[in-house]
Amino acid sequence: MPTTLARSLSSQAALQLKEFLLTMQEFFLFSLRAFATIPKIKRYWRDFLDQATICGTESIPIVLVSSISIGSLLAIEVGNLLEDFGAKTMLGRSTSITVIRELGPLLMGLMLSARFGSRNGAELGAMQISEQIDALRAFGTDPIAKLVMPRLVAALVMFVPLTALADFAGLQSAAILAEHYHRLDPGIFWNAVYPRMIPKDFVVGFLKAPVFAIIITLVSSFNGFAARGGTAGVGRSTIKGIVVSSGLVLIANFYVSKIVLENM
Amino acid sequence: MIELRNVSLKYGDREILKNVSVTVRDNTIKAILGPSGVGKSTILKLMLGLIKPNSGKVFVDATDITPLKETELYPIRRKMGIVFQGNALFDSMTISQNLSFFLRENLRLPESEIEKRVVEQIQFAGLEGYEDQLPENLSGGMRKRVAIGRALIFNPRMILFDEPTAGLDPVSSKKILNLIDSLKQKSGLGAVIVTHIIDDVFAIADCVAVLYKGEIIFDDVTEKLHESQHPFIRSILSDKILEL
Repeated sequence: MPTTLARSLSSQAALQLKEFLLTMQEFFLFSLRAFATIPKIKRYWRDFLDQATICGTESIPIVLVSSISIGSLLAIEVGNLLEDFGAKTMLGRSTSITVIRELGPLLMGLMLSARFGSRNGAELGAMQISEQIDALRAFGTDPIAKLVMPRLVAALVMFVPLTALADFAGLQSAAILAEHYHRLDPGIFWNAVYPRMIPKDFVVGFLKAPVFAIIITLVSSFNGFAARGGTAGVGRSTIKGIVVSSGLVLIANFYVSKIVLENM
Repeated sequence: MIELRNVSLKYGDREILKNVSVTVRDNTIKAILGPSGVGKSTILKLMLGLIKPNSGKVFVDATDITPLKETELYPIRRKMGIVFQGNALFDSMTISQNLSFFLRENLRLPESEIEKRVVEQIQFAGLEGYEDQLPENLSGGMRKRVAIGRALIFNPRMILFDEPTAGLDPVSSKKILNLIDSLKQKSGLGAVIVTHIIDDVFAIADCVAVLYKGEIIFDDVTEKLHESQHPFIRSILSDKILEL
């Protein structure tokens, strides 16, 4: 009996591993196709503009809210800590490193994973369920070139300025909080930011934007294309897209920081 | 002409089609009749190369399409039009945009030619005045007519219909069937109609293949359906519901 159970469990695990590897293979080919169709961007420039508006302009409020909130919190908490050591003047430096290198891009990535990723997953999933993607293929249009590539290019283009905006809003809110909460002169705050910034700080922060753009767009779109089983299936694929892309954003955030900081 | 030769297809462990062979000749209306969920729509997708069989071959005008790449399939698919069960119209586009979309995408036609073809299809579908409406604002029958117009936009030789009258009221159903019949009479178009409604088969199909438990159990002219002694066919002819 235990032998039968062990065999059944191992065969189940082998089946799951096989499914996982097949999905990875499909995802790799899907991603390759999305990149390979980038030269067709001129043909789909209207779709690109639509997606740039969705993931760029329309995402500004949520990016601002998250970065202002984290900048303000950092200023209060780190300021309290530094005050104990009599190093309050270093608040600008510590806040800027945290915001520009880590929390600015990370929070933006997570917010866009939720906002842009969920939209991609739900929209493409609904198109898959209602056979609109099959219709594109049936009438001779490449659905990846038409639906995924413009999203990918739009995210690659728009995530960098959004990161800059998140950094600026986070630091500005930290400066305001530093002045009003910790009674720290803005001149002292900014003087600890600008002269001490080094290229590495910007490389770490801004390299994350295109990496997150690729992860969020491809993972959410792939899950949308894979939607099966009616409206519940669209829900499942959307959730899967958000969960996986958010997890990958967190992992990529760590590795980009590690690789750049170790090698620059 | 479209031919499925000894086609088998599995989804996981589930065997959808077992050694299925079907031929659809030009200028004929062929129905594929069977209960819901038996794999009828899958046959249409195989004919278009949207899915590939596990074994067997699919021929379109004597070309084996099973080994072809996606990009090589595009010109072959344009020989056929398809009307999906749920119409698959692009819900963010107006009716005229839905009709012109694939012309703009795939053919380098002058704008005047595109407009001419769109107007032709709008008139054919009897949808004058609805050009700027979104699909959601139209009735089920109207949406179906737009989908047929879209399928005709490349001037195909064959149209594939997936449950063309499902979910429509009797009047709209009759209109759609008349429209399909008129396409054959006026334009010499061939058609494949996948359906579970036996009345539709007798109304317009020249020949019929019956799909049951993944196998073709009958394939002949429609009139001979009455002569079949297969228990499933006898049961559907005696007005029973087509369920497994």
